[in-house]
Amino acid sequence: MTTRPLPQTGAAAPTPAAVPRRGGIGLGGAFTIAWRAIVGTPLRSVLTALGVIIGVAAVVALTAIGQGSTAGVTKNLESLGTNLLTVQSARGGGGGSLVRAGPRQTITVADAEALAGAFLDRVAGVAPSVNSNLQAKVGTNNAQVSVVGTWPAYETVRNSPVETGAYFTDADVSGRKRVAVIGHQTLLDLFGDGTEGSATPEQAIGQKVRLGSVTFTVSGVLPDKGNSGFGNANSQVLIPLSTYLQRFSRTNSAGGQPTVSTVYLQATDAKDLTGLQSDVTDLLMTRHDLTDPDSLDFQVQNQADSLASLNSITNTLTLFVGAIAGISLLVGGIGIMNIMLVSVTERTREIGVRKALGARPRDILTQFLVEASLLSIGGGVIGMLLGVALAFGGKALNITPVFSLPPMLIAFAFSALVGVFFGYYPAARAAKLDPVDSLRYE
Amino acid sequence: MTTPQVTPVVPAPSLAPAVVDLRGIRKVYAQGDVIFEALRGVDVQIMPGEMVALMGPSGSGKTTLMQIIGLLDRPSEGGYRLGGRDVTTLSENERAAARNTEIGFVFQAFHLLPRLNLVENVEVPLTYAGVPPRERRERAMQVLARVGLADKARNLPSQISGGQKQRVAVARALAGRPRLLLADEPTGNLDTRTSEEVMGLFSDLHAEGTTVVLVTHEDDIGAYAGRVIRVRDGLIESDRRQTPRRGLGGHP
Repeated sequence: MTTRPLPQTGAAAPTPAAVPRRGGIGLGGAFTIAWRAIVGTPLRSVLTALGVIIGVAAVVALTAIGQGSTAGVTKNLESLGTNLLTVQSARGGGGGSLVRAGPRQTITVADAEALAGAFLDRVAGVAPSVNSNLQAKVGTNNAQVSVVGTWPAYETVRNSPVETGAYFTDADVSGRKRVAVIGHQTLLDLFGDGTEGSATPEQAIGQKVRLGSVTFTVSGVLPDKGNSGFGNANSQVLIPLSTYLQRFSRTNSAGGQPTVSTVYLQATDAKDLTGLQSDVTDLLMTRHDLTDPDSLDFQVQNQADSLASLNSITNTLTLFVGAIAGISLLVGGIGIMNIMLVSVTERTREIGVRKALGARPRDILTQFLVEASLLSIGGGVIGMLLGVALAFGGKALNITPVFSLPPMLIAFAFSALVGVFFGYYPAARAAKLDPVDSLRYE
Repeated sequence: MTTPQVTPVVPAPSLAPAVVDLRGIRKVYAQGDVIFEALRGVDVQIMPGEMVALMGPSGSGKTTLMQIIGLLDRPSEGGYRLGGRDVTTLSENERAAARNTEIGFVFQAFHLLPRLNLVENVEVPLTYAGVPPRERRERAMQVLARVGLADKARNLPSQISGGQKQRVAVARALAGRPRLLLADEPTGNLDTRTSEEVMGLFSDLHAEGTTVVLVTHEDDIGAYAGRVIRVRDGLIESDRRQTPRRGLGGHP
């Protein structure tokens, strides 16, 4: 054994003046010790944090997918036009099954004209519409289209301007002209090979299109509306209502009066939407000789109602997701506490040794608190990455995830809090261990 | 029950205060209705530079005495001055600080931290003392070299022999430059040859001026000390000086 004199020990230096400030290990030291304990048992650490990982991943993924689908549906609703009232036929008598009764059409063209006349100063436009699916043909190209008979006001009311060309005019309507505005996909199918870019709107303007057995002239082309709308807006062909009723109407009549499936009204003022809704209802009740507001043969829907009910569904779902996430984070926290308690017991001897070597209770407390927090914060980070990855998996469901910071931050902060909260009890237990007992612990 | 104190040691005249000065120490354990008196009034003074063996059969109270000297346990009654400072009224945190700076522990079971390598083990008390990392490493390497294990600094405790482990533990105890080296059955887990090696190390340290207190029940080990205090039934039975046996390390 080599023997070299020490610089100073014991009696050689009775005053331990060489020992500098006594600051304990501090956060940095505790971090180092905790980090080594965590990476020393990687599998166990991951399993410990698994609850938090799953909880945070669930929050991030579900909120992103939820917000993505909400945004999609809201966009669709708004793309139908704003400040919109929708008047549709409904089976009279109420309470019965709509399905069995079938959509007996009760709204007449005269109703639409009356509404347009009565609320001239309160609506930006009125557009009755009726539609059916027909075969469209240009040369040898053909396509299945949804032919919609309507008024020119459809453009503003349904927020559906043309990309090229023009809508038919009021004169076209009164003259029952055979002009048509075609959708984006219809253009591609009829004038190209159906693929994107195979036809330009310009080459269709003025061309002849056969709808069923009737030949129309293309006056305008609608822009690409995406394929996520209700029905397929890209396969529409809009024609004057009068022409539709003359050429394609089969049984659409109520007492000999031509009927439509829907009348769209656009309020000039969003605040008037509810008032307009009840005035429209009153007027139609009078016209249909109805007195009982609970048994109408039509219904007037308010777009704001749809948005509100959608929002309330979304909010409920969000709350639900939040509750599930909260529970899983709680379970995750209990998992951390459980393993930390085991860990404290397992490391009783180590704690005793550290105490004998000068660790203060506070140093031990910090060490274990930092370890629990590192586990839960690490779990939070992994969970967040996993959640983002999962949310992008939502693309397979045709939902573009929308990530917003607040739920991610809340989930992350909550996971860190879980670590501190559930780590405190085991850490305090470790700090309180008696050095004599813990050194003796086998 | 009176066990007389035989040949009390008169402390050598010195300007330095006693490293350990225990007066009337009693320690009572109560478990339910059973009351057990582990120490029944013990006075001990240990002067700087002494090497003292605390001996006695198991249950004699020597371990309790060691724990009180090491600030691991508190006496039920009595006064304790460590290096001249009254330590009976210290808070838990202050006691930890005092253990850190004034006392170096060597345990029978070595108690190295298994996940840390040797130099990191030696650094542990310095970490709690708040010594900055670079200085910590330097001092740890110094004491590791002192016990002849500098070349194994990066090894884990599981990779070295029992004798080497105990030398690392001695290095760790020395790292904080304590006033007192307190060894509890330091050779209890070692064979005869390595025991002699480790005891040689203690002898050398003592020769360099370190104050050493050994707790042991083996006469062979007690023989290395210059003074033997025998404890029996919670009282000091005898306290006498002797010519210490020289260790293997052989100091001239």
